[in-house]
Amino acid sequence: MTESYIELHAASAFSFLEGASQPEELIKRAVELEMPAMALLDRNGVYGSAQLHTSDRRNGVQAHIGAEVAVSSFGPRLTPPAWLPHQHIAEPARLPLLCESLTGYQNLCQLITRFKMRERTKLEGAATWDDLEQYASGLVCLTGGEEGPLAAALVHGGEEAGRDTVERLVRIFGRDNVYVEAQRHYEREEEWRNQAAIRIARSLNLPVLATNGVRYATAYDREVLDLFTAVRHHTELDQAGRLLALNSQRHLRRAQSMAQLFRDVPRAVENTVELSSRLQFRLDDLGYEFPLYPVPDGETMDSFLKKRVAEGVVRRYGPKNNPGLLEKAKKQVEHELALIARLGFAGYFLIVWDIVQFCKRNDILAQGRGSAANSAVCYALEITAIDPVGMELLFERFLSDARGNSEKKEPPDIDIDLPSEDKREQAIQYVYQRYGELGAAMTANVITYRGKSAAREVGKALGFDQESLGRLSSLVSQWEWRGKTDTMAHSFHHAGFDVKHPRIAKYLELCMRIQSLPRHIGQHSGGMVICQRQLNCVVPLERASMPGRTVVQWDKEDCADLGIIKVDLLGLGMMAVLKDCLELIPQHYGDKVDLAQLPEDDEVYRVLQKADTVGMFQVESRAQMASLPRNYPTKFYDLVVQVAIIRPGPIVGKMMHPYMRRRQKREEVTYPHPSLEPVLKRTLGVPLFQEQLLRMAMTVANFSGAEADELRRAVGMRRSWERMKDLEVKLRAGMTVNGFDMKTQDNIVENISSFALYGFPESHAASFALIAYASAYFKVKYLAAFTAAILNNQPMGFYSAAVLVKDAQRHGLRVKPIDVQLSDWPCTIEHETDHSLSLRMGLRYAKGLRRQAAEALVTSRNHGGSFHSAEDLPLRVPFLNRKELTLLARIGALNKLDAIEHRRDALWQMDRAGKMEGPLLRQSSEWLHEDSRTLPLRQMSTEERLVADYAGTGLTVDRHPMHHRRAELRSLGVLSAQELKVCRDGQFVRAAGCIIARQRPGTAKGFIFLSMEDETGIANVVITPDLYEDEENRKLITRSKFLMVEGPLQNQDGVIHVKAVRLLALSDGALELSSHDFH
Amino acid sequence: MRKPAELYACVYAKEFPAQALLRLRVELRDKPCVVMEGEPPLQSVCSCNAKARKLGAAQGMTPVEIDTLPSVVVLARSRPEEETAKATLLECAGNFSPRVEDRSNDYVFVCVVDIAGTETLFGSPAMLAKCLLERVRALGVMASVAVSDNFHTALCVARARSSRMDVTVIASGNANKVLSSLPLSVLDISEEHAETFSLWGVHTLGMLAELPEPALISRIGQVGKRLRQLARGEMPHLFLPVEPKFVLEERMELDTPVELLESLLFCVHAMLEQLIVRATTRVFALASVTTTLSLEGETTHIRTVRPALPTNDRKLWIKLLQLDLEAHPPSAAIISLAITAEPGSTGKVQLGLFSPQLPEAARLDVTLARIRAIVGEDCVGRAVLKDTHQVEGFRMEPFTVPAVSISEAEPFPQRAAMRQLRPAESILVTLREKRPESFFFRQKRYRAEHVYGPWLTSGDWWNPMLWSLQQWDLIAHSEGGELLSCCLTHDLTQGGWQMVGLYD
Repeated sequence: MTESYIELHAASAFSFLEGASQPEELIKRAVELEMPAMALLDRNGVYGSAQLHTSDRRNGVQAHIGAEVAVSSFGPRLTPPAWLPHQHIAEPARLPLLCESLTGYQNLCQLITRFKMRERTKLEGAATWDDLEQYASGLVCLTGGEEGPLAAALVHGGEEAGRDTVERLVRIFGRDNVYVEAQRHYEREEEWRNQAAIRIARSLNLPVLATNGVRYATAYDREVLDLFTAVRHHTELDQAGRLLALNSQRHLRRAQSMAQLFRDVPRAVENTVELSSRLQFRLDDLGYEFPLYPVPDGETMDSFLKKRVAEGVVRRYGPKNNPGLLEKAKKQVEHELALIARLGFAGYFLIVWDIVQFCKRNDILAQGRGSAANSAVCYALEITAIDPVGMELLFERFLSDARGNSEKKEPPDIDIDLPSEDKREQAIQYVYQRYGELGAAMTANVITYRGKSAAREVGKALGFDQESLGRLSSLVSQWEWRGKTDTMAHSFHHAGFDVKHPRIAKYLELCMRIQSLPRHIGQHSGGMVICQRQLNCVVPLERASMPGRTVVQWDKEDCADLGIIKVDLLGLGMMAVLKDCLELIPQHYGDKVDLAQLPEDDEVYRVLQKADTVGMFQVESRAQMASLPRNYPTKFYDLVVQVAIIRPGPIVGKMMHPYMRRRQKREEVTYPHPSLEPVLKRTLGVPLFQEQLLRMAMTVANFSGAEADELRRAVGMRRSWERMKDLEVKLRAGMTVNGFDMKTQDNIVENISSFALYGFPESHAASFALIAYASAYFKVKYLAAFTAAILNNQPMGFYSAAVLVKDAQRHGLRVKPIDVQLSDWPCTIEHETDHSLSLRMGLRYAKGLRRQAAEALVTSRNHGGSFHSAEDLPLRVPFLNRKELTLLARIGALNKLDAIEHRRDALWQMDRAGKMEGPLLRQSSEWLHEDSRTLPLRQMSTEERLVADYAGTGLTVDRHPMHHRRAELRSLGVLSAQELKVCRDGQFVRAAGCIIARQRPGTAKGFIFLSMEDETGIANVVITPDLYEDEENRKLITRSKFLMVEGPLQNQDGVIHVKAVRLLALSDGALELSSHDFH
Repeated sequence: MRKPAELYACVYAKEFPAQALLRLRVELRDKPCVVMEGEPPLQSVCSCNAKARKLGAAQGMTPVEIDTLPSVVVLARSRPEEETAKATLLECAGNFSPRVEDRSNDYVFVCVVDIAGTETLFGSPAMLAKCLLERVRALGVMASVAVSDNFHTALCVARARSSRMDVTVIASGNANKVLSSLPLSVLDISEEHAETFSLWGVHTLGMLAELPEPALISRIGQVGKRLRQLARGEMPHLFLPVEPKFVLEERMELDTPVELLESLLFCVHAMLEQLIVRATTRVFALASVTTTLSLEGETTHIRTVRPALPTNDRKLWIKLLQLDLEAHPPSAAIISLAITAEPGSTGKVQLGLFSPQLPEAARLDVTLARIRAIVGEDCVGRAVLKDTHQVEGFRMEPFTVPAVSISEAEPFPQRAAMRQLRPAESILVTLREKRPESFFFRQKRYRAEHVYGPWLTSGDWWNPMLWSLQQWDLIAHSEGGELLSCCLTHDLTQGGWQMVGLYD
């Protein structure tokens, strides 16, 4: 007889530090062992179930869902007896529960939510008998292994207590739903408990069920579990003792081996097959319902939506004065509304509309991005700001019959950008309040082990000291691109470790093995799920560490996989900048601006063509700057392409350069196949957008809408390599049928698969391009307002405040230093006597000045007028401490006080004023007053002032540091950034400057790009991987603030680089400058 | 009364860990050398010579960083050698005056010699300083010497000129001038004050000295006054001469090699008496006594005896030492012996009137020492279970009186008693279908009737001494019908079967 066995008690790494294998690994192993089904029971949750489910769909192993639920009423779980030294902590026993039906699953979710939410903070929590009784139906209960209630009862109270426990379970779950579990890991104590359990089962006439209490896929993974145990108990492996596993037997076993093990227990193995056949629940039928939106009486959601859209169409298209467009728009929304009604998604649109309305009411700038921008309905509802009709965007990418009718209803995806953290929080709290604590929650964010965290935690467990761990984790390469020497082994070597030493070799090995295993769960920054009925029936909810937040146990992708509606509320710094601009511009320039109706302006495009884009959204990076002069944008759609093209997807797919060449008319526009011309015409025959890839698949391989959609989902998601492979086969088959030759096929497949990680939808690019254009428009037309806004919303973007200020100054803005007599907390705009506008740095840039102190200062100034003297300031603003006064003095913010001549003067007086005698003495004693005219300190030198500026504010409004060295540099033959522009291609040059950005993009094959700033502008330097290999150079590149480089100049199409062949450090005094490094 | 004239000479030797090592390694002096401290693989440079510094070596560098520098000699830091070098230097300074103050820290040797009134002996201060520097150089240490009538001035100047390794004599009343150009770093200034001065643009002692005193005090407090005095060379100093260390040590070179323990104990007796006398004068008792025997063949035999309580009972000490040496006799004849003792406080135990009389500590020590001599060091004390799954998971620890009385232990469930065999006995086992079938134990052949197991344990996989065992519980009969319930283990890493226990 061929034995059959099904593992019904397995835990994955989603039991966070109590399991050592990914659900996929378990499934993979189950396939190898020819196991037809498997149950995943993670600790207090179904975290891994979604992944197990996706994996099982692919592999044909049936996934049973369940959980090990902590129940405090059973008392603590089994620990070694008190006379044996051990470090086990008291934890409640855990009851393994399996979902038999949808009711069972819903009960399990509610049960877990119940006890998790009972805690006020993020804690494991535990259920009680009452909870179990309430949610028992549809669940099958096992008696558990060593962590279960039966083992604990047997050891503490003998067989009698064991029988009581099992009887109680029978009373709660019913006779048919309790299985007495037996696990055999070749342990003496366990066997004693097994014998007792089997006797209890016989006496109560209950079935015995063999399981292996699996915690990892293969025996070898026991090491990872031991490691996790040490991490979980904050101890070292050497000290962990009995916390660690006794042996390595808790892996998935072959049916034959289980049958052999349990040959003396009749039916124990057969019962697994029988129970498995009872467990009918699949995650496919989750019971999730799309949320409804409450509408007034006499309205349906569809009619209500229709009315709102009709109003919107008038509002949006009215001002455009284009009857043709209006007509087209009306037709389009009609088409969209019909489809929305057919698919029953009206509620979803109304919910998002409601959130956007809330934002509008509360003065929060909100803009939809992602594929929603393809929809005219979204545009009309003011969810997005892109006119999809005018731009001819493909609505089907957002929503189509095929998508809505595919095996599961897949909801459309709407992401909303919000200005800042507080504003986003406001919107999130609104959703909570509107749909209730159990109706909405954040999606989870699974924190997994990465290079640094793995090195740190494994090192700690293996007993390496803090100092060397610190050194190591600082060395683990964080660049996006990894050279052949940037391996972990290399980092280990550099940290002074000998990788041949056995313990260190083990350290390294373990670091690699735990990569991407989950560590704990956090909350996603903005993804929210909303449910009509209680969300806690769909997936368990738990508290996040942030007060007032709840999270579901699945991450964004899991939710999407299972078709749960999600709204992403994302914080986008540039939105806050735009919002501030919208306030500042009418106030100071008297102009009214509307983001949705910004005029196309040649001056703005001229600036973009010159790549003069510091501070502009999405187009300010080095790569963007290098391609702007070549792509030469002249209209909005060019910007859409520009935003999308400098992405790893197009770069890896080798689409960026062909597009650019075609754009520059250096290459003929061709198509991979004539049939693709309509699809690719807009992008000169080069596929750039996901929408195009969809259409390509439909055109070349006769993919149906659903298949093309499957392809889109596969390319858009992380865990899709396998699916991609299947689809590739299909794609090629389709192309062969249509008579495509192999080369064309390869070309098309490569185009598609290069989007696997970073695909960019056209609509998304359009939303981003709109923000990019707005930022460019504001910067060009309203520099003071834009600079004030961007400085008030730091940190954000690619460049530091110091660079932004220098850039604004080069563009003619007068930037004035912090002054306690004039500055507010934010940077402000001042009107000069000649009616020009200037920027006053805000007190927020005084590093170390508390906001309350600054606000107290401003309030006192507003009420009591300017400050008179060094003593007046601390007297009127006692909230300022001595450190803050010194800081203000040092950065020159006190120079405008009476009797203060220079910064040192202010420092000297403040050091005294900040240490005053008590008020009583101060009033009466003339003799305590110093003769303020004897000031013993010398004025700061220019260099000292610069140092003070950078140390105290991170920037200087004074001349650029390089200005002061220009004469010296000139004598060395160093050219300025401005001078480099007139050099010819190939000329050997020498340049120097302050490094403002370092980048090693994943797509650049190890090349490093440096941006060097001097008083005239920004110069670009390219470092070859070879040059970086040199130890000295590596140090210079990663650590120096000022650098001198030599090498040939490359001037291609106005894009200027110095290709470094030699690097030299420029001594930088004590300047504390920071570069934004992008890894 | 006039203040007595003061005059100080300061000797300042930087990079002392490197200098201490290179002092006796002449051949390395011309090469770039760095000194590493710390446990491998986590060493870092703590000191280096000028040649190495020129190449780019600096404090705190890792071995990997040093590897990148060409031909640098790497030495390991040696505290004993530094101690010896320091002692030698202090002794050298002591030749010029009995009053020497040691101001060294971990990386620098500094001492200040009170040389007031030594003109008649050593000539002018300049001559003395030159002589002192020459003597220091003769000891293989490069240093700078500064002479001033102010202690701190001498120290600051010597520190400032530490790289030039020369002599500076500051004429009386000239301190201010000499000090004014020195950087603030020659003073031991807190980080906070260093920052304040740097903000003020005060970088030299001269600039500091010029600041008005009340204004300075009102800003940074009394520290300001002190620093200003230092900067002006006006800071008074209370001299703290070095005192010789209190070391309880006696050495004796034997005329002829001794083999008999009795004759050795005769010497020990006398030496111990000296030590006890010296300890008693300072109201100490001996806490431990270490006997270091130099043996023929250039080996040493070191034994330490530490009774439960410090004691000055000579007889007891002799007895303990004798028992210890009997238990651990030296392997060859003894050429010389040294006895060092650690002082401890004289123990007094306050006994309660009604508390039961404890056994006399001294007697118990002797008894335990006797037992130890018989059964071995590691077999006396109490067995304590270790927190590990390993089978032999226990260690021995000395008997101690528990701090708190142990509450009633939880009742043990009924268990079978087992005799653990220590050491376990190797046996020969015949297997059938991977299960023990029969085995030879103590010359008898047993046939297994009931076999339970295997029970598997394994652990310490991250260590070189990882272990993995298979255990079997057996009921077996010998050919003579004798019944044996036993536990066998099979070592899966080393191979081999052992009998580890017998069930009663």
